[in-house]
Amino acid sequence: MALLATLLALRKDARILKIPPYLSAFLILVGVAWLLVLPLNEYSRGTYVSENALLPGQVHTYFTGSEHDVFRAYRHEVAGLVDLPVQQRTDKLSELLRASNLKVATQKYTYTPSGRNISDENVYAILQGPRADATEAIVLMASLKTMDGEHNYSGVALVLALARYFKRWSLWSKDIIFLLSGDSTSGPQAWVDAYHDAHDPTTIESLSIKSGALQGAVGVEYPAGPWGHRYDKLHIVYDGTNGQLPNLDLFNTAVNIASGQMGIACTLQRMWFHRNSYQERLQTMLRGMLSQGLGHATGPHSAFIPYHVDAITLVTVGDGWHDEMGLGRTVESLFRSLNNLLEHLHQSFFFYLLLEAKRFVSIGTYLPSAMLIAANFSIMAIALWVQSGRPQEPIPNPAATKPASKPATQDASKDSDNKEKEPEQEDEKKPLESPPVVVTKDGATAVIPAALLQVSERPLFLPAAFVVIAHFLGLIPLAAFNHIPVDDLRPAFLLASNLTTLLPLATAYLLSRFNRPTPQESTLIHCFSLLFLGMYLSALATLNFSQSLMVGLLTAPLSFVRRSSGVGAKLQFALLAAINPVMVVHAATYVGKIELLDVLVKAAEGWHIWGMWTQVVVWLVWWPAWFCGSVVVALGLF
Amino acid sequence: MLSFLSFLLFHALIACAYASPDYHERLLLRPLPQDALLASFNFRSNETAAAYEQQNFRLFPRSLGQILQHAHTKELHLRFSVGRWDAENWGQRPWYGAREGSNGVELWAWIEASSEDEAFARWLALVNNLSGLFCASLNFIDATKTIRPVISFDPEGDHAGTSNLHLLHGILPHEVVCTENLTPFLKLLPCKGKAGISSLLDGHKLFDAAFQTMAIDVRPVCETPGQNCVVEMEQTVDMVLDIARSKRPRDNPIPRPRPIEEIECDTSKSYNAPDTCYPLDKKTEPGWKLTEVFGKPLRGACPLTAAEGPESETLCINAPPERTIEVNTTGHYTKSLSASDTLRCYKLPTGAELDLVLPEQRMTTGLIRGQPHLYAARSINGHGQERGSVQAVIKNPSPTDAVEFAYLESLPWFMKPYLHTLRAHVSTSSEDPLKETYYRPAVDRVRGTHLELRLVIPPASTLILTYDFEKAILRYTEYPPDANRGFDAPPAVIRILGPFQSADRKGLYLRTTPLLLSLPTPDFSMPYNVIILTSTVMALGFGNIFNLLVRRFVGADEVPAAGGLKGLIQGRIQRVKGRFGKA
Repeated sequence: MALLATLLALRKDARILKIPPYLSAFLILVGVAWLLVLPLNEYSRGTYVSENALLPGQVHTYFTGSEHDVFRAYRHEVAGLVDLPVQQRTDKLSELLRASNLKVATQKYTYTPSGRNISDENVYAILQGPRADATEAIVLMASLKTMDGEHNYSGVALVLALARYFKRWSLWSKDIIFLLSGDSTSGPQAWVDAYHDAHDPTTIESLSIKSGALQGAVGVEYPAGPWGHRYDKLHIVYDGTNGQLPNLDLFNTAVNIASGQMGIACTLQRMWFHRNSYQERLQTMLRGMLSQGLGHATGPHSAFIPYHVDAITLVTVGDGWHDEMGLGRTVESLFRSLNNLLEHLHQSFFFYLLLEAKRFVSIGTYLPSAMLIAANFSIMAIALWVQSGRPQEPIPNPAATKPASKPATQDASKDSDNKEKEPEQEDEKKPLESPPVVVTKDGATAVIPAALLQVSERPLFLPAAFVVIAHFLGLIPLAAFNHIPVDDLRPAFLLASNLTTLLPLATAYLLSRFNRPTPQESTLIHCFSLLFLGMYLSALATLNFSQSLMVGLLTAPLSFVRRSSGVGAKLQFALLAAINPVMVVHAATYVGKIELLDVLVKAAEGWHIWGMWTQVVVWLVWWPAWFCGSVVVALGLF
Repeated sequence: MLSFLSFLLFHALIACAYASPDYHERLLLRPLPQDALLASFNFRSNETAAAYEQQNFRLFPRSLGQILQHAHTKELHLRFSVGRWDAENWGQRPWYGAREGSNGVELWAWIEASSEDEAFARWLALVNNLSGLFCASLNFIDATKTIRPVISFDPEGDHAGTSNLHLLHGILPHEVVCTENLTPFLKLLPCKGKAGISSLLDGHKLFDAAFQTMAIDVRPVCETPGQNCVVEMEQTVDMVLDIARSKRPRDNPIPRPRPIEEIECDTSKSYNAPDTCYPLDKKTEPGWKLTEVFGKPLRGACPLTAAEGPESETLCINAPPERTIEVNTTGHYTKSLSASDTLRCYKLPTGAELDLVLPEQRMTTGLIRGQPHLYAARSINGHGQERGSVQAVIKNPSPTDAVEFAYLESLPWFMKPYLHTLRAHVSTSSEDPLKETYYRPAVDRVRGTHLELRLVIPPASTLILTYDFEKAILRYTEYPPDANRGFDAPPAVIRILGPFQSADRKGLYLRTTPLLLSLPTPDFSMPYNVIILTSTVMALGFGNIFNLLVRRFVGADEVPAAGGLKGLIQGRIQRVKGRFGKA
């Protein structure tokens, strides 16, 4: 009781408003520091296979001997057909699969993101499990082109050879679907959309034969030409669209089989040399987070994960002594494990950060980091809300012996105030000069400064309307960048970057012509925008942790900028102009040495084909928050 | 005494002679494309209705007969099935689908009862008894899995003398059929798998088949209505063996890669090299032997079958006339040809093993297979935890005949179809193919959905039937042990009503595959976490509030400084005073 009363009394204290900026900064620091300790042994865990049924690496593999000769022949066949027209290529692949007594079907698809024409044809074959009843299926796939744009000769040949080999086994409890897609991301996407009947039948052909519920999918990328190439390691790619991840058990099974049973080292997130030091673990984790945060498709497996089908892609890297049969046996053993599954993969983690192939951080350990950063915005929003309800002038301590003096900043701001504002200032001074009020209650008498009894109203309409409009304004660039043709994308982006920088200035100038918003209103604008940002980011953290963290860090300065004037305002505005979302994209392409146009094209492709949501976050969460903050700062300039 | 014995023997002999025509068995082998072999076993035994009523069982198994009499079951159809029939490659189904069941176990029966409730009680008695007899979980066919079909099934037997027959039907889609179901099945046979064609039935090969179904059908058959009736029991096993897989020896079943010398390579390829081999399709019929593919020898004829005539030829093979077939036996056998030499039947020797040997052969004539009347495929569309849709694609390959058929769905109660979303769409015509609907909605935890449709599909067209459904959220305890697997929804049963008619009363059927329905499944470790967390929060919150509510706060100086006996007495007196004062 007493504690509550103390807290309530503290609410009135002017000092309480001094705490939040420090608290916010502290939360951001803790959030970042939290990330940095994650790679330590104390905060991460070794991976383990949680699902008992998987039994990784417990079976002998027999994909050797004459199968190798057949594989070589298939590799020559594939090398001969990659340059053929799509129709001939499809016929040839269908014929190869049909020769293994499988049920073969094809699917044509056409996508037209940003005016480009992506059309190709998928070929797939179903091996009906001898005792299966078409209720469950697992997918083995290879695309004709790898993610890096190379011809996936050996990958496709391996799928063909394995299809022929798997057909002879009688132990399959699930159907096995062999999918040979035209390209690495849109082909599998078209196929898996059609499999779940979530496609547009006018541009994407429906599947003529289907099997049961998909339980897992494994992609193979092995871009070795017709004369083969021995590789060093297996690169396991696991990020799905929008940062969704497959069940950790699938990843663990692949690592366990490849490294334990076959002796092939596994690597992830393009860390070709990983000595398991702190620095490399951190680097792996950050690369993983970057890939997750961008939310793009990273391989043929990415399309499956949104449908709750766990999927990974195995990519061969480097020069070493492992041959194609090693990869084939890895896939064989992996399929034997998946075949054992009685239930859908559900035991292990769906949210994790991998530090190396055998070490991970679970969501419970890493989530506070993004949550703390999101919380900083909410704290500042509450602080600004409280501040907006306070009288604009500080109330002098009535018991003070020193005469009331104003802080230096207040003086400075008053000096630079233009003439129109002066009458207001006069009005605000009045209550200070008015005599204290004498209150008598229950025989006790108190002298209270009149300012303390004054109720200050919050005008909510303008700030609320402004923040809502700012959020709707984000729809314009969102729609524009998803629909502008390729040729116009770059000019449009340059235009957008100029407009985005100038828009807050213009808005602030326009508003200041109407003497609005008042400092209280601008505080409320800032408050609402931070409140939205905090809510969005904490919700996003549970869906896509990395994206939330990235946006949170890039918008962190918004918590600390204030409406001021003079050099302070200019400096603040310059800082905000630098962390403008458009500028950040520019800078990122420069640092990452990526072509800007590629980013824009991929983003549009992601929106139309993969169902990527990153641009929604950028244009409807990040951009409005930045815009509101910038306008608040720019108001100080006029 | 001696004369009495001879009299007995004479009677026994007469009984045997009389009984033998009442038992028929036949194995029909038919090579299918893609190196598959269809083996259809058929066993049929008759018992006169009078003997059956008096429990005078000879060929009819007593164990089953007593169950049927106890449950007042007049006609019974029981199916155990695994795998699926590949209609595109294998053509028309054996027995036109009439001796085939849904994946798992399917049971339907005509039960005599005066009321629906009585019929259902007898049905429960029947499934529980059969469950024990066949080592299957048939007892799980309860009210939620039982339906009463209207147009999909007709009785096969003659029921002129009985009235008040009730048809009940149940499916267990997730029942795993295995050897423990085969053993009781074989025990019902008069020769019990020791002689005759049933000696070929072996659990290892039967359950390694790509498709297999075991059927038991009991029905009364009368020569004239109500006269000379017999109770006929038919047992059927159909299996499709993959010849290459079946030929593998049991002690070495692993399909290791064959040595490269055994593989025929395409030497015309430019890249052909000692280490590179494009496998060539041999285009020959594989060679096989009965003992190889069934893993057991055929141990001669069952002595109960007819001694001569076409009924005595119990082993038949349906293959093109040019196919070489050698018979390997030490006993005496006879062979007959029929159906323009495509059907070869053999009379088995008694007491000696017989083996058929078909060498590998390059054929000039292809295999003849019947065209199915309809093709059907069914799948679940959509994703997510809340709703989905079912799509059935039914294709009519006939270029001239419109096919009328009945489509029966029996859905579990937690899969709730929206009937207003039911659409039947035919690509080639605008006419509504849906002629009649019979629908009995589900009641939660009481009964499942029963949906029966009569549809007509125009020639050479595809009918797409779709409907949406909602997934119910089950109670925590209603989930099975492997909850994350999902729930099986039974296959749809399609009966062809016209224009094709079966020669007998069995009807023409086909069935789709079952569906796997994923329901929202809780994380089963979560309830414990929630319970622990909630209890802690409750304890902390409740403890504090309770403390504040019941404790009286007084100033330190307000507490009477009483102590000892005096204080106690004073307190009592004051309390008594207070009570009187109030009164």
